[in-house]
Amino acid sequence: MSSKAHLDPQSLDALARDLDQLRASVNDDIGERDARHIKRVRGAAQAAAISGRGLLMFGFGPISWVLGVLSLATAKIVENMEIGHNVMHGQYDWMNDPTLSSQSYEWDIVCDGDHWRHSHNVEHHDHTNIVGKDHDYGYGMLRLTETQRWSPWNLLQPLWYLLLAINFQWGVAIHDIKIGRYLKGRMSKAEFRQRMRPFLRKAGRQLFKDYVLFPALAFWQWPRVLLGNLLANLIRNLWTNAIIFCGHFTTDAHIYSREEVRNESRGQWYLRQIQGSSNLEGGRWFHLLSGHLSHQIEHHLFPDLPAPRYAQIAPKVREICARYGIHYNTGGFWKQYFGVLARMARHALPTKPRIASQSA
Amino acid sequence: MRAMGGAMLRLWRHPLLAPLNDAYAWERIGRLLRGDFSLTGVRATVVAVEQHQPDLKSIWLRPNRRFRGFLPGQHVALELTVIGVQQTRCFSCSQAPRADGLIRLTIKRQPGGAVSTAAHRLEVGQAVGLSQAQGHFTPPPGDQPLLLISAGSGVTPMLAIVQELAEAASSRSVALIHCGNGGNGIACADELRSLAERWPGLQLHLYDSSASGRLRSEQIAACVPDWQQRYAMVCGPEGFMAMVRQHYAERPKQLQQEHFGYAAAPVSDDAPLHTVRLGQPEQVFTAAAGQSLLDAARAAGMQPRYGCGKGICRSCQCRKRSGSVRNLLTGAISGNGEELIQLCISTPLSALQLDAQATGAAR
Repeated sequence: MSSKAHLDPQSLDALARDLDQLRASVNDDIGERDARHIKRVRGAAQAAAISGRGLLMFGFGPISWVLGVLSLATAKIVENMEIGHNVMHGQYDWMNDPTLSSQSYEWDIVCDGDHWRHSHNVEHHDHTNIVGKDHDYGYGMLRLTETQRWSPWNLLQPLWYLLLAINFQWGVAIHDIKIGRYLKGRMSKAEFRQRMRPFLRKAGRQLFKDYVLFPALAFWQWPRVLLGNLLANLIRNLWTNAIIFCGHFTTDAHIYSREEVRNESRGQWYLRQIQGSSNLEGGRWFHLLSGHLSHQIEHHLFPDLPAPRYAQIAPKVREICARYGIHYNTGGFWKQYFGVLARMARHALPTKPRIASQSA
Repeated sequence: MRAMGGAMLRLWRHPLLAPLNDAYAWERIGRLLRGDFSLTGVRATVVAVEQHQPDLKSIWLRPNRRFRGFLPGQHVALELTVIGVQQTRCFSCSQAPRADGLIRLTIKRQPGGAVSTAAHRLEVGQAVGLSQAQGHFTPPPGDQPLLLISAGSGVTPMLAIVQELAEAASSRSVALIHCGNGGNGIACADELRSLAERWPGLQLHLYDSSASGRLRSEQIAACVPDWQQRYAMVCGPEGFMAMVRQHYAERPKQLQQEHFGYAAAPVSDDAPLHTVRLGQPEQVFTAAAGQSLLDAARAAGMQPRYGCGKGICRSCQCRKRSGSVRNLLTGAISGNGEELIQLCISTPLSALQLDAQATGAAR
């Protein structure tokens, strides 16, 4: 495992300046190309959704069913990751297009958009990998580092993880309700109810759409549609989960404690974003299907930069990291994902914090 | 029957029927077949383009059936995508309403104006977004004589107003003082002259400011001696309008104004406090240049929604209606028009008008 880089304040300021400059250098170029990209992707996702649902509802035979499932799953993956996630970060707000506005976009997943805007954009992106503050770290159920308290419950961690991956959209959806806090008596019943309401509304709509409305529109073909939708949602869940877990839980992704980040400077914030994130290598289609979260490091540095630009700035980010002696955590999908699974398995056991000099 | 229609519509719009009732999605599909297809707003097709002067063009548009018509003097907002950014600008209809429903926008290309330049590049057959007609710059009903004063492309609403009266062979008396810079000829001068020939009610005064200097206040009285009896309407660049306002300082009720092309407010070092108006009902606070709008709003005891406070999460985002801001992170200076800004990293460069923050999912 690579160790955390520690930079002196001057280097940190220089790092912040270099990264700000990099951002500014792309800023002026953002325009037509990015607008065309998101509109084309949206058109493609919509076409895939229509053909997928069409094949499931009106097709016959197993081949059309399989094609329908794959098409719908792809549509959901692209809509959630390349469109929903990125639009809700405000990557396309500059277009002034009300249908691509970060504050009103609503996506095809059971997680309510407003909950996501809070739990993801505010908590996760600002408090990345700060144990206890970044609720995405382990999703409140997984132990991924020595500094998290161990309980016998963690022994069955691989099983919990499998359940989370299968039901990932639900894990994401209840994330911002903070059920744990309510169960521990740290949240009033009234507040809990208020937090539940948007979740129930959104979940109801999604369940109705995938398991009542579209099956009903297919008349006697309803079992085909219902099962197809279920499978498409499952594929989407497994894929998004794998990509997202590779973003922050790989072998070399570092964690931070609350004390470490007190009075953090902009340079330190940048450094934490780099060292807390990890990239995946792959081709153009792989990046697109991952919503460009394969460029997690670049995304965490500049969450509101139109996603296709991450690939463009990646070599420069890498070069900056090398200059400051910061490990740029990247690798192929399987290497990174096995790293995540190994880490999860290791910390299922009561691992001890290592010597302070290394973990600090 | 109507009640049933309303109930059906409500049912159709119910969120449970999403995505089948996603009007924007249907629009995108429909637009593959017809550029002006729309379920939500007005769209129009360019049917003809007229070049009047090197920098003055008229665009003839055929709006789709969602357009509810306009009154002479009103304007529409034209929506164009310029370098990926959806932009809107207001233009007066420069032709009285016609039986065939066509509307004409006469657009002057502004040096450095991205939208007017894009409008000048429009070609026949292209489709554009349009708003319903807006504005109250219409002559009052009745027979009171009018005095129309315009400069440059400010003549556009006047053209529609005069044409409408001319076609009805109205007995109303209209005096029109129109100034132009002679270098390029006076905007739409030929059209005005032929109107004056056709309709004796129009008293036309074309004023060439390149030959005789800018129009001065006394000249209004000299051209139209009975100006005090007339209801005046003025449209032109800001400096010109200020001169006319001065002339009417004692009779403000007799003057109606239509503004266009606001100049960017200069950054003033000696008066760094700017007024910010937010939402409806309006809340007003002041923010200093250099201070973030979020800090200023909170200092004023308001409770805007916000998250990270450093420009990452967009929780504090809201729509700016007018005024200019500087982005504290990038140093970018915004235009004067409508756009989304983040309160925590925006500092005012002029007085601002902001919308209340969006309250989430509005689809």
